[in-house]
Amino acid sequence: MSTNAAPAGREIRFEPIDVGRWFVWGFTALVFLVLPLIFRSGFAITLLSQMGILIVFALSYNMIFGQGGMLSFGHAVYSGLGAFFAIHAMNWISAGTLPLPISLLPLVGGVFGALFGVLFGYVTTKKAGTPFAMITLGIGEMVFAASLMFPGFFGGEGGISGNRVVGEPFLGITYGPAIQVYYLIATWCFVSMVAMFAFSHTPLGRISNAVRDNPERAEFLGYDTQRVRYLVLIVSAFFAGISGGLAAINFEIVTAENVSAARSGGVLLAAFIGGAMFFFGPIIGSVIFVLFAIALSEWTKAWQFYLGVFFVVMVMYAPGGVASLILMNLRVMKYRLFGRMRDAYTGVLLSGAVLLVGLILLVEMSYHLTLNFATGSRTKIFGFGFDGAQPEFWVLAVGTTIGGALAFEAMRRRFASDWGAVQEQIEDQVQREQRA
Amino acid sequence: MTAPALRLSGVRKSFGKTEIIRGVDLEIPKGERHAVIGPNGAGKSTLFNLISGRFPVSAGRIELAGRDVTGLKPFEINRLGLSRSFQITNIFPKMSVFENVRCATLYPLGYKYSFWHRLDALEDAAERAEDIVQRIGLKGRRDTVAGLLTYAEQRALEIGITVAGGADVILLDEPTAGMSRSESDAAVELIRRMTEGKTLVMVEHDMSVVFGLADRISVVVYGEVIASDAPARIRENRAVQEAYLGTTLTEVAHG
Repeated sequence: MSTNAAPAGREIRFEPIDVGRWFVWGFTALVFLVLPLIFRSGFAITLLSQMGILIVFALSYNMIFGQGGMLSFGHAVYSGLGAFFAIHAMNWISAGTLPLPISLLPLVGGVFGALFGVLFGYVTTKKAGTPFAMITLGIGEMVFAASLMFPGFFGGEGGISGNRVVGEPFLGITYGPAIQVYYLIATWCFVSMVAMFAFSHTPLGRISNAVRDNPERAEFLGYDTQRVRYLVLIVSAFFAGISGGLAAINFEIVTAENVSAARSGGVLLAAFIGGAMFFFGPIIGSVIFVLFAIALSEWTKAWQFYLGVFFVVMVMYAPGGVASLILMNLRVMKYRLFGRMRDAYTGVLLSGAVLLVGLILLVEMSYHLTLNFATGSRTKIFGFGFDGAQPEFWVLAVGTTIGGALAFEAMRRRFASDWGAVQEQIEDQVQREQRA
Repeated sequence: MTAPALRLSGVRKSFGKTEIIRGVDLEIPKGERHAVIGPNGAGKSTLFNLISGRFPVSAGRIELAGRDVTGLKPFEINRLGLSRSFQITNIFPKMSVFENVRCATLYPLGYKYSFWHRLDALEDAAERAEDIVQRIGLKGRRDTVAGLLTYAEQRALEIGITVAGGADVILLDEPTAGMSRSESDAAVELIRRMTEGKTLVMVEHDMSVVFGLADRISVVVYGEVIASDAPARIRENRAVQEAYLGTTLTEVAHG
């Protein structure tokens, strides 16, 4: 115990985190910069661009969902309406009525996203919890219906299209080539990430965590919890609108799909799979989601089925998302206990792979039989020929699935007990360190 | 003549047809340490919930330092200088001890709903929070997640959160409930230290805590204040003894 005369709470604190933070952001910027140089194909650039757009959207969603405790089923309303205003602005720029560079178009989306946040948020944030979720669902449906009712503004079924290659090239940038669009998205994505991270470290950001965890306590500390929810939603809608503006530039078309419940559900999936309790979780989730939605959909029609299964598995076995899986394993490595998990991991991964192969065979043969009957019952899976009309292929698929499932269940139990033992040992070590 | 810190006149509260608070008049002068005692179900906690704005009153008037606060929301009453703790620990379990206390300082220091200040740059908030953390004896646990604290530590943190905003009137609802003898002795010391110069109103069951701490005691029975007086006079009050305390008081008095 020190008894020197330093006044309470005034001792100097070193904050190595801040140094780390500069490093992390610098590294992130570098990744954005370098990725398209590694993955050069047109398809890769498409993937990367869509990831950037979804990252902004998912982080904005997580401001209210993970950080603020508001489960929304209608967040696409803000990104979608932002996108519609952005595409109209793009057309006004083309027509010469709006003097604005294309690079700043996302800001138009953001401003209108925020405006609709002011409007709809006033209604939704009156309530918290389940009523909040219900109201967002209703407003989502309302906006979707309106988007088909007013074809003048929303373009009906066909949507509104535009052309991003307008005006004089600035420093040779025309936004004609996809790579230029990628770098525009990357820039906005990076700036938005930093801004949203900074928001989580402001008084309002921290109090939104407090309102999430214990609204009653927050109220007895002077906070109007409704006001907290409302303000956070407006800020979140602003960033959602930015992602909408980016989408408008990237696709040059905005349709009713942009405000749909499917879009709202997708961003919830992305945030949850990545890990809603961590700031960087939705970033991981967005990458995974785009891989499913764009890359996997190239290979199979059943991609949504696989995404659904993946989501259910995550909710059941890793409710903290991929981010929590990473952090927990890093902790095990930090205490040098990963070696003890190696056998368990091998078992789980191998048996899991067998189970997955069995499931894929079943799903692909079923899809092929029901959807592509005209082309016959034969199909190729993993490069091998399969025939859904021959029973021996079904026997093989069912056998693989059952065998994989049994093995997986046994391995999972072993994994669970090993994992528990390792965690216990870590807890012991932590307590010993604390006592020391 | 300054207004009392807290004045209740004709306060009533009914839930459905049941009247829980049946006309309470109470005046607590500034700087007093006032205990509210009474048997289970007498309406002590309900009275606290009315004063702090958690429930609306059915009739009557509540004044805080001369200002009518009847019908105001909890956050409005809090901003006018009244802060409370809860019978069941009510903290932010996922945040560190330090974060818990700092959250309590933000509104009163004027940062309110700001999203243009960087939290870690707010030296006044940090300084005040560090000071409180030290005074509630949790300096060594500063960065521990509040949900992992021991029960007694959580109760101390709750008191820290309650006073951190700098409110003049502090309401503590059974601050020593569920504590061992030695823990509750420490808690009494802590309460005395943390509420120095403030008006303290507390609900408490532990008679040694009540008689050790209070300047004045009000006895609530069936939703009415049957006596409000100095501890020594309460001890001798026949109505109080009959209605509620009886032997317990004599034991305390001679023990």
